[in-house]
Amino acid sequence: EDAMDTINNNPNNPKKVESRFILTDVMTSTAFSITGSDYAFYSSVYMELNVGIWGQMYNAEKRLVDPASATTYNNSWNAQYRNLYELKTSIEQCSENGPEKGNFVNLGISQILFAYNLAMLTDLMGDIPVTEALQPGKVYQPRIDKQEAVYTEVFRLLDEAILNLGKATTYPSIGNQDLIYKGDKAKWIKAANALKARFTMRLSFRSAKYDKVIEYANASFTGAAEELKYTYTGSASVNPFSRFFQDRNYFGASKSLSDKLTERNDPRSAKFFKPATGQSSVIFAPNGNPEQRQAYYGYSGLTSVTAPTYLMSYHELQFLKAEALVRSTPSQVAAAETELVKGIQAAFVKVGLTATDATTYYNNNVKARFDANPLKEIMIQKYLASYEDEGIEAYNDYRRLKAMGDDLITLASTLQFPQRFTYGSSDVTTNPNVRNAYGDGSYVYTEKVWWAGGTR
Amino acid sequence: QPKQVTGRVFSSEDKSPIPGVSVFVKEASSIGTTTNIDGQFTLKNIPANAKTLVFRFVGFQTQEVNIREGEISVTLVPETQKIDEVVVTAMGMKRDRKALGYAVQDIKAEAITRAGSSAVGTALQGKLAGVEIKPSSGMPGASTNITIRGARSFTGNNAPLYIIDGMPIASNADYSTGNSVTGTDVANRAVDIDPNDIESINVLKGQAAAALYGIRASNGVVIITTKSGKNVKGSKAVITFSTNYSADLISRKPEMQSTWAQGAPAAGGGYSFNPYASTNWGPKIADLPNDKTYGGNVANANNGNNASKYPGKYYVPQLKDAGYEEADRWVTPQVYNNVDDFFKTGYTLNNSFNISQAMEKGNYSFGVSNTTQEGIVPSTSMDRYTAKAAAEIKVANSWKTGFSTNYAQTYIMKAPGANDGLVATVFSAPRNYNLKGIPYASPTDPYYQILYRATNFNNPYWAINNNKFDEKTNRFYGNSFVEYSPNIFGDSDKKLNFKYQLGMDSYSTHFQDINEYKSKNTLGSINNYGITATTYNSLLTVTFDMNITKDIKFNLLLGNEINQENNKTYSESGSNFNFGGWAHINNATIKNTSENQSRSRTVGFFGNLSLSYRDLIYLNATGRQDVVSTMPRGNRTFFYPSVSLGFVLTELEALKGNSILSFAKLRASYAEVGQAGRYYENYYVTPSYSGGFWTGNPIQYPLSGVTAYIPNTTQYDPNLKPQNTVSFEVGADLRFFNNLFGIDYTFSRQDVKDQIFDVPLAGSTGASALTMNGGAIYTNAHEVVVSINPIRQKDLEWSINVNFTKMDNYVKELAEGVESIFLGGFTTPQVRAGVGSKFPVIYGSSFKKDAQGRILVDERATINGVANPYYGFPMQGKPDVIGSAAPDFTLGASTTLRYKRITISSTIDWKKGGQMYHGTNGLLSYTYGLAKSTEDRTSVFVYPGFKADGTPNDIQRGGSTDQAAYYNLYANTLGNIDEAFIFNNSYVKLRELTLSYRLPKIKGIDINVTGFARNILIWTNLPNFDPEATQGNTNMGGAFERFTTPQSMSFGMGLNFVF
Repeated sequence: EDAMDTINNNPNNPKKVESRFILTDVMTSTAFSITGSDYAFYSSVYMELNVGIWGQMYNAEKRLVDPASATTYNNSWNAQYRNLYELKTSIEQCSENGPEKGNFVNLGISQILFAYNLAMLTDLMGDIPVTEALQPGKVYQPRIDKQEAVYTEVFRLLDEAILNLGKATTYPSIGNQDLIYKGDKAKWIKAANALKARFTMRLSFRSAKYDKVIEYANASFTGAAEELKYTYTGSASVNPFSRFFQDRNYFGASKSLSDKLTERNDPRSAKFFKPATGQSSVIFAPNGNPEQRQAYYGYSGLTSVTAPTYLMSYHELQFLKAEALVRSTPSQVAAAETELVKGIQAAFVKVGLTATDATTYYNNNVKARFDANPLKEIMIQKYLASYEDEGIEAYNDYRRLKAMGDDLITLASTLQFPQRFTYGSSDVTTNPNVRNAYGDGSYVYTEKVWWAGGTR
Repeated sequence: QPKQVTGRVFSSEDKSPIPGVSVFVKEASSIGTTTNIDGQFTLKNIPANAKTLVFRFVGFQTQEVNIREGEISVTLVPETQKIDEVVVTAMGMKRDRKALGYAVQDIKAEAITRAGSSAVGTALQGKLAGVEIKPSSGMPGASTNITIRGARSFTGNNAPLYIIDGMPIASNADYSTGNSVTGTDVANRAVDIDPNDIESINVLKGQAAAALYGIRASNGVVIITTKSGKNVKGSKAVITFSTNYSADLISRKPEMQSTWAQGAPAAGGGYSFNPYASTNWGPKIADLPNDKTYGGNVANANNGNNASKYPGKYYVPQLKDAGYEEADRWVTPQVYNNVDDFFKTGYTLNNSFNISQAMEKGNYSFGVSNTTQEGIVPSTSMDRYTAKAAAEIKVANSWKTGFSTNYAQTYIMKAPGANDGLVATVFSAPRNYNLKGIPYASPTDPYYQILYRATNFNNPYWAINNNKFDEKTNRFYGNSFVEYSPNIFGDSDKKLNFKYQLGMDSYSTHFQDINEYKSKNTLGSINNYGITATTYNSLLTVTFDMNITKDIKFNLLLGNEINQENNKTYSESGSNFNFGGWAHINNATIKNTSENQSRSRTVGFFGNLSLSYRDLIYLNATGRQDVVSTMPRGNRTFFYPSVSLGFVLTELEALKGNSILSFAKLRASYAEVGQAGRYYENYYVTPSYSGGFWTGNPIQYPLSGVTAYIPNTTQYDPNLKPQNTVSFEVGADLRFFNNLFGIDYTFSRQDVKDQIFDVPLAGSTGASALTMNGGAIYTNAHEVVVSINPIRQKDLEWSINVNFTKMDNYVKELAEGVESIFLGGFTTPQVRAGVGSKFPVIYGSSFKKDAQGRILVDERATINGVANPYYGFPMQGKPDVIGSAAPDFTLGASTTLRYKRITISSTIDWKKGGQMYHGTNGLLSYTYGLAKSTEDRTSVFVYPGFKADGTPNDIQRGGSTDQAAYYNLYANTLGNIDEAFIFNNSYVKLRELTLSYRLPKIKGIDINVTGFARNILIWTNLPNFDPEATQGNTNMGGAFERFTTPQSMSFGMGLNFVF
């Protein structure tokens, strides 16, 4: 038997690795596979940031089979649970009884990323397996947890993460293995607060706590340099939108987005779009009814291999703060305006314009609109700033606003709007709990998630 | 004692003399001669001690006659009447066929090589019962999936064990084609065998026949005996040279529409031509000059708003990229035959040379051969060189030693399929586009591709000139042995024999996948990878024979076998070339290397006990204990027993000498064998990001010098135990009218328990699969072999051989919570194994149906006040089983008719039932609008479905006011429902047809001329394509197609010289 053990030894792969090596990939995978890819592509179609003009994106645009099919988001679903499993491994390693007990920084980072992934899953899919999930070989068919309970867990994790990151540790810094903040504890604490602000606002229809949003936002990023974003090398790793354009070329420039920019004489218009190869000017694709045709409609002008993926941007935080200020009692409109302007400035810099351009634009084209309807203009500016890759937040906001009775962002497509994303087919085919919840998939058009007024 | 003997040889059939019979002295085989045209012979110089003469002739039983005075008259009996055939069984044991308690089937060299096939697998098609042979494509060196009596494993190995001259050799592909949706096929290692070097193939089908091989035996065994000097007639050296040449053509081509051009229906009615569309739903080709943007009859930007400049022509923007002058960019509309333009006539040339001799003290055989093949797809080819040497010598009275060595070099150039399909842009090329005529690259930048569709597809002509997919193998395998048969029991009937054989199979294969700079709009990539594999096999056997009484014979075999396999694979991949024209790893800006080592060892102890009573009852029992390294501690040792019984009814007094029933045997057997998995402790890996929307791998660690590790997404169950196959088999072998008619029927049942596979997990568990014991599968197989020899004259012979197989392979249960498992394919559709269904099934989006399974149509005339474009069309239902790949039965029939020196033979294959996902057919018929079936786009039609109330659909669509109806039905509805891509693929194929003529001997040289054709006629339910072109070398093979390199048919000629 010993001889056979020796023969069957696997020399090619390690059996144990430290948490820092796990975290590196969770960050990459979260940015590239989760926040930056499929979810963002489909959200950007539903939210009319892009128009699907080919293949799966055309199907999504036309609401053909894809929005209700279990295979549509399966890759992201699996990748996200894989992230959660890796984070669970890393949390266990850094906890009491684990081999890296006392590695509070890695523990805190793991908890933040866990909360981030968990919240995104429930935002898009509603009730999801959590308590019985992540036990391969032990539990084969995890039960589904309610979204409300999932959010309780998200906040618990973020609170614990902030505590852990505040503790002293004898472990060496995660350093370069942290592809986001290089192990800067203070920035991670700010990121955790930013996420708390985002998620608190998310639950506003169920329980409005605008003062808390402001409080968390104040404890967070002081500028774009601190925002939670993942940067690509441009060769060994590339921005998923640029890769999607290179490999698939499924998007065309959105007519309704362009109309909103034109209405405001927005200088970003020139940055956002460029004509297709061989076309002299940008042809905008009509939302909901484009021709299935490549190399015809305009492309995104922002696409770049090195464009970062924003997990939580500084401008988003400013818009959150502005919204909370307007909504809080008493409404603090003047303070909100200051935050809004900071948000627009950051959004301008993001696309290659300057803060001065933003101020000019604000004064000439936005201020009047803000004065007329502060909330609406904040939400529209937040929406415009989300082009092209922050569509998931735009999609979450849109559903939240509808639930709150604030019909502020107008979409041009008359086709039915998906209220949620489907579960992944790996669960639909093997887990009856999820299969029953999925049914034939048509629920995506009718059932809202809990925080948007639905039941599941 | 006479020194000289004369005599004459006759045939027992018609009493006519036989010329060319070899006559030699048994005790001194160098003294011999052949009979003349009148069957007469004279043999001189016979030594004094010689007692016996041997008479040998092809097609007749060898006969021995005592040397005596006077003219000797000998009558030879044709071989077809011979019942006591000897067959090679497990561990090289030779047994009388009638002694066997299980089914074996053997094929002789002639049947393998007569149609000039260059691969063993395809040469066997239609010639065996119970054996399923699925070729993947017509590409040279393409993998072939062979399973005997169905599958025992879903995702693992179902291929039989190959034994060449007593040595187990690798026959599987070292790299799986995975989901078979990207990349190229990977040849399996049986490709290194030259069919011309084979003397015979014995197939041990059941587990009882193979149980002596233990853990590797569950999939049956293919025993190949290569040519040796052993069976050479006479005493002189026999030199054989054979050569054949065949021309290969595409076997079936799609029928295309010839009316419609690229584009889509325009939003406001009418059609819009789009010269960059892959879809052909645009205007009529004849109407292109009237297109508002590209037509010459209309003033537009392209003709400088001058409608009289290029009347009757239209503008092809690709010609601008190709550097054409403005006037030359305007062309007259025309229909191009892009498929015919692309495929070429391939060829196969095979030469082999062999010299063999049998001598008193031993025998030898040397051979070399070469196969050169060029495929029907340009850039595909195979070059194979093999050399063999084998010899055997008696060194002393009781000692014998010998060796057999083989060297093979195989070089294969391939074309990719499915998502990377080279033929994707050939089959889907628009009819209005001149794919061959328009340059494939810019004259100023050879890497800037010009194509009819957007840039992330390759122009096939660019691809064959720039991309490269090849594999090169150097292989050595062989063994040597020592045999000792001590004469310790004197002249008694007790015999003892020791044999030790040491064998080795060692090879290395190097693969290159090169995507040149700007391939598919990327910066290119290269992957150099390969394997070095060495297997040692040590085998010791001891046999003991004795007659317990006059009627009871006893045979015992004991043995030990150690098999050790050492593999190392490596991969050097690079991507993002700095510039084009130097597709080398040194030009890549991102590089990654990895290697993987693995070892495994199996140690087995085995025994075989045979008892026979007269020629009436034969009993055989085997046992084998295996210890394998690839299983977890504590679960490594297994015991596998088998027992079989043969009962020859015609040996009973009552039936003996019966003139109607010449032979009858009943047989029954029981066996247990296993299959081990590959267990490792759970480990961490550096993740890969390929798949999904991505071409290649968008994230490649290390990133800025840091790398990452995550738990492997497939985990291992520490309680893994071997899977077990329990099988029983009953059969009858009946022959009538002196073997005029024979029927051999076998029923077998296999129950596979504790199947090992990667059980797919719900994503929410955090892992994708768990390697565990997770399922049970069973197979009921009926095999019937019928042989008829209606005419057996000296000048006229006719024989028919029919192999019928009905195999039902069912999935009985899967691990808890698993209802089906993924074998390959896309996210949707996929090939799967599902509980309660035949294996395998196709799973994907289905049509929405009512309770009675009738397809429902969309009855909403408007949605949100807007006309519903899909009104009256089918809708997508839930993901479901949409097709079953298993056939109802297969039937292969061969017939041979010989008249004097002319022989005609043919093989027909019939597969009844079974379905496949045919991506190319679906895409051409729906999405791309290219198939002939889309020619009519103007008639009014009603989709043949049902309404929710159960009445047949009566919603009329199409016609002049509803021009987009066909487009919306085909491209936007059917093109999105996987079930619409499922086709029945029953077929009848004329697999082989040969005509050969044996020339009269010229100066002692035997010359045989053969004309042959393969795969020439197909009748099938599958439209447009040959059903035997599919993706993958895995268990999904045969069920899934998407831009696979097509099958070929061949016409050829062969010459065979024997000196």
